Amino acid sequence: MKKAVFIAYNQALTERVDYILKQLNIKGFTQWPVVNGAGTFGGEPRMGTHTWPEMNSATLTVVEEEMVPLLLKYVQKLDEVNKENGIRAFVWDITSLY
Amino acid sequence: MSIYSTAVNKPISTLMIFTAILVLGIASYLQLPVDQYPKMDPPYITVMAAYPGANASDIEENVTKILEDQLNSVDELKEMTSTSYDNLSVVSLEFEWEVNLDEASNDVRDAVDKAMQDLPDDMDRPTIMKINTSSMPILIYAVTAKESYPGLDKIIDDKLITRLNRVDGLASAVLSGGPERVVYVDLDPNKLDAYNLTLEQIGSKIQAENMDVASGNVKMGLMDYSLRVEGEFEESDQIKDIVLGTMNNRTIYLHDVATVRDTVKDITLEQTINRRDGGVLMITKQTDANAVEVAEQAKKEIELAKKELPSDIQFQIISDNSRFIIQSVDNLQETLLYALLFVVIVVFLFLGRWRATFIIALTIPISLIVAFIYLFATGESLNMISLSSLSIAIGMVVDDAIVVLENVTKHIDRGSRPREAAKYGTNEVWLSVIVTTLVTVAVFFPLTLVTGMTGIIFKQLGWIVCITIITSTITAISLTPMLCSQLLKLQDKTKLKKHSFYAMSSRALDKLDAFYERLINWVLHHKTVVICSMFGLFGVSVFMARYIQTDFMPMNDQSEMSAYAKMQSGQRVEETKRVALAIDSVIRARIPEINLINLSYGTEEEASTASLMNTTGSNILNMRIRTVEREERDRSVFEIADQMRAIFKEFPEIVEFTVSTGSMGFASNTADIEVIGHDFATTTAVAQRISHEASKFPAVGDIKISRDDDKMELQVVLDQDKLAQHALTTAEIGQYMRNRVYGFRNTKFKEDGEEYDIIVRLDEKYRSSITDVENILITDGHGQKVRLKELGHIREYYSPPTIERKNKQRLLTVSLSPAAGVALGEVAGIAQNIIDNMEDVPQDVTFYIGGSYEDQQESFGSLIMLLLLSLMLVYIVMAAQFESFKMPFIIMMAIPFAFTGVVLALLMTHTSLSVVAALGAVMLVGIVTKNGIVLIDFINLLRERGVPLYEAIAKACRSRLRPVLMTSLTTILGMVPMALSSGEGSETWKPMGIAVIGGMVFSTLITLIIVPAIYAATNKSGNRNKEKKLAKQYLFMEGVEEETLPAVTQ
Repeated sequence: MKKAVFIAYNQALTERVDYILKQLNIKGFTQWPVVNGAGTFGGEPRMGTHTWPEMNSATLTVVEEEMVPLLLKYVQKLDEVNKENGIRAFVWDITSLY
Repeated sequence: MSIYSTAVNKPISTLMIFTAILVLGIASYLQLPVDQYPKMDPPYITVMAAYPGANASDIEENVTKILEDQLNSVDELKEMTSTSYDNLSVVSLEFEWEVNLDEASNDVRDAVDKAMQDLPDDMDRPTIMKINTSSMPILIYAVTAKESYPGLDKIIDDKLITRLNRVDGLASAVLSGGPERVVYVDLDPNKLDAYNLTLEQIGSKIQAENMDVASGNVKMGLMDYSLRVEGEFEESDQIKDIVLGTMNNRTIYLHDVATVRDTVKDITLEQTINRRDGGVLMITKQTDANAVEVAEQAKKEIELAKKELPSDIQFQIISDNSRFIIQSVDNLQETLLYALLFVVIVVFLFLGRWRATFIIALTIPISLIVAFIYLFATGESLNMISLSSLSIAIGMVVDDAIVVLENVTKHIDRGSRPREAAKYGTNEVWLSVIVTTLVTVAVFFPLTLVTGMTGIIFKQLGWIVCITIITSTITAISLTPMLCSQLLKLQDKTKLKKHSFYAMSSRALDKLDAFYERLINWVLHHKTVVICSMFGLFGVSVFMARYIQTDFMPMNDQSEMSAYAKMQSGQRVEETKRVALAIDSVIRARIPEINLINLSYGTEEEASTASLMNTTGSNILNMRIRTVEREERDRSVFEIADQMRAIFKEFPEIVEFTVSTGSMGFASNTADIEVIGHDFATTTAVAQRISHEASKFPAVGDIKISRDDDKMELQVVLDQDKLAQHALTTAEIGQYMRNRVYGFRNTKFKEDGEEYDIIVRLDEKYRSSITDVENILITDGHGQKVRLKELGHIREYYSPPTIERKNKQRLLTVSLSPAAGVALGEVAGIAQNIIDNMEDVPQDVTFYIGGSYEDQQESFGSLIMLLLLSLMLVYIVMAAQFESFKMPFIIMMAIPFAFTGVVLALLMTHTSLSVVAALGAVMLVGIVTKNGIVLIDFINLLRERGVPLYEAIAKACRSRLRPVLMTSLTTILGMVPMALSSGEGSETWKPMGIAVIGGMVFSTLITLIIVPAIYAATNKSGNRNKEKKLAKQYLFMEGVEEETLPAVTQ
């Protein structure tokens, strides 16, 4: 069973997210280098405006189900290094693919 | 790809690009010429025409007017002034700035050629020189000699001046006061009469004998000989034995009717140097040449020439402008280094980290070095203005790098990797960094548009600051992130030592932040009181501004003085010499600081360039004085000059005197009243009235009327009927008289390859009274002898010794220089006042106030224009940045207080407002607004993030205190070395340092208080209104019930 993991994070974490994917041998992904966003629970919005100058990036990757807990674990670890940067991962079901 | 990502991704390329810039910059710096100011002498060409024996009026009529008529049509001519002296006409042509002097001098040469047809026949070709007669020589040497004194003139001319003339850019090198060898043949008219000879016959006879003639070839046998008849005198002694003819079988020798003297010229300008005989060597440069380069070359040539000169000839420097320039530029470079050091210290104190400080400090040399490249590329020089500009820039160039570095550090502290932190940290701030740079450029760019003489100063400053600031911005968004990514490291905060410098400085700064936050909270609750008292303060300073004195350019202490003293008109030179020596003794006794006094009195028979530099006359004493070096004396030359004035006043023989301390013509500090009118008597009378009125004011120091008192002259008035009877013309009589009195000079005595004039004329005792002159015998057209008195009579009359003209109109100037401690503006006010209150001014007389006051007015005028233009541009840039009409006003509220600070600083230090100080004030507009922008920008940001007004202000102020203090302190401390310096030339830039420091300190403090207060006062209900407005725009949401909306979780 495949799952899609959507990871949204501060731009400044790009290289480390790429590193996680590489370490977990995840080859396929789709990346949006520059996206806007804000967290639901605290954290600064990332709007690329004068008020909120920082920006987020997003990566969507489709992986085997057993890979998901590992990926989430690393994402959490990265988040704990410094909460101010902010990184979140969301897991979706993949119903079909070709 | 953006510039900062490229830079971070390619650190080596980035490093190489900046290394290349550094190398280019250092190469340019090493080749930059040194000068006092940017090239500001307008192109000048001077045409000098000597017509010996004519008085000033003749010169004006027969030479000056003719030259002027032709020269007037030369292209690009801006102003033409002329002075007609006795024997000499000088026409000075000032050209438009852009003109090419070589082309112009060709045009001038053509015009002079045309004029030649109308000029008197026996006149030499006028000389054309690329100099401004009002500019002083760049080098003046005293040349003293013992044994070689009688031949000094020739020796120097041969061995030295020919060498000097080869120096590129040197306009003239002349020795004044050296003795000149001539051979006089003094005739006794009675004996001439007895032997039936005339002066002209004798003159021609001497010429006829003094000849070598090649007479063809003689072939004898196998040989071919060339034949020569040789008669040239080998010794001057031979002249007296020339046979003039026979009478009653007796041979008449020349010594029967004349005495022949091989001697030094009778009438000369006498120079003494520390009471020793000698001459003064004056070296002037062409207007477009670099003073320092020419002086250095000239000195080298003098050193080389010394080896060939007799050992008793010694050189002493009287005045050396280049030394002063080099020293002041050195001093300024030193202050620049101190400024750099101070800035680095400030950055270190605030950042507390060595690596960060290094990254910031690196932007300084790079930005400054690009300025050197600019200077080199535009052919400019290292001078007081360009270096002062760099001093100003030095505090500003770090600002952008600091902003970038702070943001990058913020990311690193969050745990980001330095590479990413550098990229994304720069990405977040690069736009606002560019906008703040735009504000500064908005202030400085208009400076480059100023025209005229002041424009030259401002242009350089404007360009240099703009270029350095823009370079610093580019560096801040390329090199700084690159270095951050390479040098900064992830720091573990828990590992920081408690007593590290970083910890200590941040604790101290935290305390300061907390104090400021409390202060702001108090201010916010007492807005009205604070704002009103601030404006009260501003009002007081506006009132106090009236007590500030104004100056054009501060005078520099160059360890030199010159004095001019005029005694009774027509006084014999021996009497002038007696008084001169008496003054010399008194000065030596009373002023211990003096180490060289050069006295010069008397006049040269034939005018030369030397006489252009000073007014000379048998009744005039010119002194040049050199004091010991600045470090070795307590008093400034200005104080010594005051004492000199007191000494001059003790001598009743002196009618008029001036003592001046400036050396370059540019630094002359006078308000000139030009009196324009044709009639000598009326204009002189008016000038004397002005002078009399002005002398009543204690603020007026020296008063000098450019036209000397009328000199008595003798005029031969011929009777035309009698002339006709004797078949003579006025021209013939003129020629006869000229031969007898001035001398018949048509041949030269040659010795050792040198030529000396042989002057045949009547012995002095036969031409030294009116009766003697009337009794001079003239041969008439019928061969009869007739005395001059039978043809007319001699009349005594008065005529002006010099006639000045400007644009073909006669004028004279009354120059008023300020007394010690008085500013030029005040003297100009007095001058204006005198003119306005003049009663019954003759109809054809007009007035005009010129001099350096005119330049000062022009400069201050353009400064005010500049200020307005800067303010408008700053407003435009800020309004665009904040997308608001209101915010720029709040920020610009700090500007008036900068001027309050300038006023206070100038008053407290008794400094007068010179152009340079005013310039500092204009610059404050840019620097001061920067502080306001930083504050407002952050308050706005917090407000948009939804923080309540007062809290937003207090929080923003607290967090922005450090950047504001840091940028202000770097600028202030960058200026401190300038304000405190006391070396050569410091008088010029000190006022700017003082003005900027005063303005910055005051405005920074005020900005920190008044900007938050006004922001609070003008924004009270702003955001609540905004919300209501917004709700009205989204009408489709109106139906939704309040209760159904979920509670907002914060």
